[in-house]
Amino acid sequence: MKLNKNYNYIKVFGLKACWKTTLFLRNILCFFVIIGMTACTDFVEVDAPKNTLISETIFEDAATVESALANIYYQMREQGMVSGNNGLSVLIAAYSDELDYFGFDGSNQELYSHTVTSANTVVLGWWRAAYKLIYAANDILKGLEGTTTLSLEHQEQFKGQALFVRAYLHSLLAAIYGDIPFISTTNYLENNTVARMAVNEVYENIITDLISSVSLMSDDDVTGEHVLPNQSVSKALLARMYLYTEQWALAESVASELINRHSLELDINKVFLKNSSETLWQFKTNGTTHYNTYEANQLVIRFIPGQSYALTNNLLQAFETGDLRYSKWTASKTSSDGLTTLQYANKYKAIFSETTSLEYSIIFRLTEQYLIRAEAKAHLGDVAGAQQDLNAIRNRAGLANTMATTTESLLDAILKERQVELFTEQGHRWIDLKRMHKASDVLSAIKPAWKDSNVLLPIPATELEVNPNLKPQNSGY
Amino acid sequence: MKNNYKTKGRSLLFYIFCFSFSSLFTNALTTTHDWHRTGWEYICDQQPEVHGTITDLSGMPLAGVHVVVQATKQGVVSNINGSYTTKANPNDTLIFSALGFITQTIAINNASEINVRLQEDVTQLDAVTLNAGYYTVKDKERTGSIAKISAKTIEKQPVNNPLSAMQGHLTGVNIVQQTGVPGGGYSIEIRGKNFINGSTNPLYIIDGVPYGGQSLGAVEVSGQINGGNINPLNAMDPTSIESIEVLKDADATAIYGSRAANGVVLVTTKKGKAGKTQVKVNLSSTLGRVSHFLDLMNTEQYLETRREGVTNDGFGAFLDMPAFDFIWPDIKTWDSNRNINWQKELIGGTAYRNHGQLSISGGNEQTQFLISGGHQKETTVFPGDSKYKKTAIHSSLNHQSLDKRFKINLSTNYTVEHNKLPRTDFTSMAYRLEPNAPELYDEAGNLNWENNTWDNPLSSLKEDYQANINTLMANAGVSYKFLPNLQFKTNLGYNNYGLESYRTLPSSARNPSFGFTPENYSSITTNSSKRTSWIVEPQLHWESKFGDATLNILVGTTFQQQSTTQLVQKATGFPNNSLIQNLSAATTHEVRQDSDSEYNYHALFGRIHVNWKDKYFLNVTGRRDGSSRFGSGKQFGNFGAVGVAWVFSEEDFLNDSNILSFGKLRGSYGTTGSDNIGDYRFLDTYSVTGSDYNGTTILEPTGIFNPLFGWESNKKLEVALELGFLKDRIRLNTAWYKNQSSNQLIGMPLAATTGFSELTTNLKATVENRGFEIELNTVNIQGNHFTWRTAFNITVPKNELMAFPGLETSTFANRFIIGEPLTVLRLYHALGVNPETGIYEFEDYNGDGNISSVEDRQWLEDFAPEFYGGFGNTFSYKNISLDVFFQFKKQKAYNYFSFQAIPGYRRNAPVELLDRWQEEGDNHPIQKASAGLSGGLDTGQLQASSSAAVADASFIRLRNVSLNYHVPKHLSHGMDINLYLQGQNLLTITGYNGPDPEQPSYLILPPLRQITLGLQLVF
Repeated sequence: MKLNKNYNYIKVFGLKACWKTTLFLRNILCFFVIIGMTACTDFVEVDAPKNTLISETIFEDAATVESALANIYYQMREQGMVSGNNGLSVLIAAYSDELDYFGFDGSNQELYSHTVTSANTVVLGWWRAAYKLIYAANDILKGLEGTTTLSLEHQEQFKGQALFVRAYLHSLLAAIYGDIPFISTTNYLENNTVARMAVNEVYENIITDLISSVSLMSDDDVTGEHVLPNQSVSKALLARMYLYTEQWALAESVASELINRHSLELDINKVFLKNSSETLWQFKTNGTTHYNTYEANQLVIRFIPGQSYALTNNLLQAFETGDLRYSKWTASKTSSDGLTTLQYANKYKAIFSETTSLEYSIIFRLTEQYLIRAEAKAHLGDVAGAQQDLNAIRNRAGLANTMATTTESLLDAILKERQVELFTEQGHRWIDLKRMHKASDVLSAIKPAWKDSNVLLPIPATELEVNPNLKPQNSGY
Repeated sequence: MKNNYKTKGRSLLFYIFCFSFSSLFTNALTTTHDWHRTGWEYICDQQPEVHGTITDLSGMPLAGVHVVVQATKQGVVSNINGSYTTKANPNDTLIFSALGFITQTIAINNASEINVRLQEDVTQLDAVTLNAGYYTVKDKERTGSIAKISAKTIEKQPVNNPLSAMQGHLTGVNIVQQTGVPGGGYSIEIRGKNFINGSTNPLYIIDGVPYGGQSLGAVEVSGQINGGNINPLNAMDPTSIESIEVLKDADATAIYGSRAANGVVLVTTKKGKAGKTQVKVNLSSTLGRVSHFLDLMNTEQYLETRREGVTNDGFGAFLDMPAFDFIWPDIKTWDSNRNINWQKELIGGTAYRNHGQLSISGGNEQTQFLISGGHQKETTVFPGDSKYKKTAIHSSLNHQSLDKRFKINLSTNYTVEHNKLPRTDFTSMAYRLEPNAPELYDEAGNLNWENNTWDNPLSSLKEDYQANINTLMANAGVSYKFLPNLQFKTNLGYNNYGLESYRTLPSSARNPSFGFTPENYSSITTNSSKRTSWIVEPQLHWESKFGDATLNILVGTTFQQQSTTQLVQKATGFPNNSLIQNLSAATTHEVRQDSDSEYNYHALFGRIHVNWKDKYFLNVTGRRDGSSRFGSGKQFGNFGAVGVAWVFSEEDFLNDSNILSFGKLRGSYGTTGSDNIGDYRFLDTYSVTGSDYNGTTILEPTGIFNPLFGWESNKKLEVALELGFLKDRIRLNTAWYKNQSSNQLIGMPLAATTGFSELTTNLKATVENRGFEIELNTVNIQGNHFTWRTAFNITVPKNELMAFPGLETSTFANRFIIGEPLTVLRLYHALGVNPETGIYEFEDYNGDGNISSVEDRQWLEDFAPEFYGGFGNTFSYKNISLDVFFQFKKQKAYNYFSFQAIPGYRRNAPVELLDRWQEEGDNHPIQKASAGLSGGLDTGQLQASSSAAVADASFIRLRNVSLNYHVPKHLSHGMDINLYLQGQNLLTITGYNGPDPEQPSYLILPPLRQITLGLQLVF
């Protein structure tokens, strides 16, 4: 009886073989084996930590997709080409003829003096930051495809925003680096060995993305402060892309849609305030840092010595007498010993964060559309139309109508108007000089190290090492 | 009558001895045996008594010494005061023996008191028992490679981290102190770098409980100083450690399976001993200073190179124009007669360390206890009131039942560390500040900003960094012997590590001209982190003899769970700076990080050990491990090893050898693994980063996930020969090892176009570490008063990347080379200065006319040590003992070129840079001066990563000198008093002219030179 009982006890665990020799020892051994076999698999499975969400669950809820998109805008504002913090607005302005650099950062100095090497950290940083967010946009696009719980309206809004982001970042990469990989998938095996795409083809892809983005998004300003992209923002980029690809009629028509829908800010003092009527898209400032906009922090000179950037003579001489933009959007500072005076960009004035910020970082504004349309019309032979758009901008700055009457002279006038209107904004000046084939004329005079190959920055050396398919390097590097 | 009985008794001695055992059984049975008893008692009564005290050479009483009368074989054991009393014939002889001491035989010669001083037997192999983790093994019988350092060696060194005391003492263990700042980290490499991902951290086990080594510091808080690199052993008071064992080969480590690829460090803390209650007081004071300063330019030399640099750059004319003074204040504005030695100002202070420890121990046969508490305070060589404080309480309690079947032991360590440091290490500032840089403080005592012409280095003193660390390590072991040969044992452990730290950034630390105010600038960042872990390890130990063979079997299982939480908060904007520590006074609050992670670990392990005739040994160990760091289906891995040993000196043909006293050949082969990749890497997730945009919390893709990665594997092979000569007075151990690591778990670099910089994956690359280790220990002189011992060890390691399928096309193509070490560096080949242009030149390997990063870096160098080791001598004469220990290493390191390669920049530089090109035709090693204004190719940067920037950094360092004086008993009123003087890092013989060859960085405070005076009292 007793023996049977023990036997059953062991049988319960399905280990009959254990029962033969030393009962006690075997019992204990079985105990361990059983603990081991049953507990182990469960024991080493863990739940995800509280600061992460499993990716699939992100796309079950509109709020978490909004959070994933917020990440993109946050990071665009903080770093990379779009950011006011060492982005195009500042460093490409120093690379072209807008800013003089007085700081000691080696990479910045290289940009300013046109001695950029492929090891330049800014060149690498911009490349990385852009593709990181392109991945984030693609991951959202992929996630939205599989979702079953989001409303169609939400899906379209989010998809439109992600497509816009992808297009916008690629457009900047193409402007700076030339032929670039166009990334439209999250498959890392593919993206890790991707080759470069010819720049025209990149623009075609961008335009395709933007057309579908425009069709998906509504034009509502859901935040009331223009801090998220909407249909108008996609259109603004689309018009710019048509201009860059010299599709004048399309550029004119898209710019017109925007000009008809929005109104120019007529008070020059309010153009860079957060409630400016012409703003299409702006970054809300980071309430938790010491600073208000990065643009003001980087460009406003607080004391000399200690200045980082000042406006170049080239730019200062471009202002016509009486231009309100000179008096309102630039300012000067004199050193403590009174020997040195420098003029700086003062579009954004508040360096430090305020209880309620009055200035946000503006990324797209309507003025650019007037200038796009003027240029498109000039190319299309509509001299009067071009003059009219150009004059709208000149009059606001307190200047008389333009004297240019031919396509050729109008194009020169528009380039100059863009120079004094859009200075230190998203690298417009540099891209304009390049696409109008004026970079060599203008820059060879002021940059002793200028070479014609400098129209493109190098592909970062480390990226060529990691992915040799990106070769050849841009010429000159 | 008396004599008669005596004679009778003597003649009966033999009979009594032979039969006393049997008489115990029979004495009650027959009356005829009665006379035996009465006779024996009578004899004893009649023999004279001999008594005395037994001590060791230092005069410490020795309990438990066997005192045997030679003729009668009757024995007694000395009590806790070391005294004994026995009865013996005045013509007889007494034999005194104890484990670990040389047996002494003393004729009584009618004496009634015989006091004996026993000498420790340093050569006795049997006496040395090694802790192998789950089991212990006699040194003589071990099949694996286990290096040990005991309390004796640790206590001789004035250090605050036990790893520092191990430097140079152990073969195959390369330890480098990362910084001279107190509370900083150490890097430890056991038999080389195994993994491409760079992790060399071994598994730390303190009293049986694994101790997580990763720091929970947040970079945002701790900033640059001590970064994330805090060593877990900081929480131990070195004086509370009994021994540290390092397990190196497969045989010793395989039972730790997956975590043992980089070796295992076992720390055993001190335990109480049976005997009289003992109070031990240890007090010491240490002075520490930077041991070597760089030879930098003085103001005259500096300004000369500066002006020359500006002129060479083509801006010489501007030097005379006051409008441009603001560009070079050091040349034009500052006092050119001022000449400050910034090394003296910023790192030239004396660091004081005071250490006090009190320990009380005692107990009886059944229960022993030890309680000790220590406190230490250490300042830095920096200006300001930085200091590091550590209070540690250690207790140990052991108990066993009367029948010795049930045993329990409990040990706890609780440590509180408080670290207050400046935010930045001043060292690099001390090397680079201009020699005529302005006063640190103005007349009013405020930080001087000299009209915005410099960044005052002392501003970082206002940016307070403080860390409080609490560490609790508790361990209990319970065992019960069910049967004489079967024991159930369980290990229970609990660790708790808590870090509270903060860093403040007050506006007052910044130049007032920036316009910062407490409202718009001042901030505090706090980090509150905690890690708790528990472990349960039930085990069965079974031992049995079958004829000549002894069989040991061990089976056990491990459940371990570790959870970590981290909360980093930032508050910005305060009404004024004095409120900066009060988070509720801030205008904005941010939670920068709120994270947790869990790591679960489960294993089954076992060991079979066979000992045949004490000659042949077989040791088989194995482990099946599961880790939560891997995805489904990849969690489990199997690891195991076989070790064999043959003690050939026990063979008949060598038994009588006078020269060879011990000989053993042993070998082992097995596998271990590693899951050292961090938690949750297999999940596809988005993370909360603590930031928001327009009020929306942001969610960021965590990374590209790979659910398929699995264990790294590491195969270890070792063959060793252990020899003892002349009664083991000469011991020579040599070992050869070859470890191969494959299935490498790495963050494979990805092209940025993937969105991320790396992907965690297994790579089919093989890394081999092989090498020789030689240990020689000799007892040169062993007399009654004077002994001299020597210990020497050397390790010759070699690291090689054996295989890497697809290396050429992989993202590692430009980092690694098959057949070269993992640590290989690709550099430019410096060709010196062109006498015409005065510019550095480099070999253009690909002949494209450019010196560019990939193709032209073909010069190979390796900074891993070629060999390293230690050489120590211990002398003792009566009450004085002297230890002298040298550490040596052959290696290369970056020289001053990596710090500064071109004279004339706005930063001070080594005087070597004065030997520069000045005019055409000059032949000098340094290129022409430049102020960095000319643009163009930065030849300084190329030179800094060229063959010219590599120098020999081999060194022989007088790592430790310890002089100990034991105050004689008659002067100390019966107390044991030791006075000691110890020095650490006293002298370095090297051709290296950088800061310190051990830690050749120009950015970090080198290890200090320290001198300690101490006193130890025992009563």
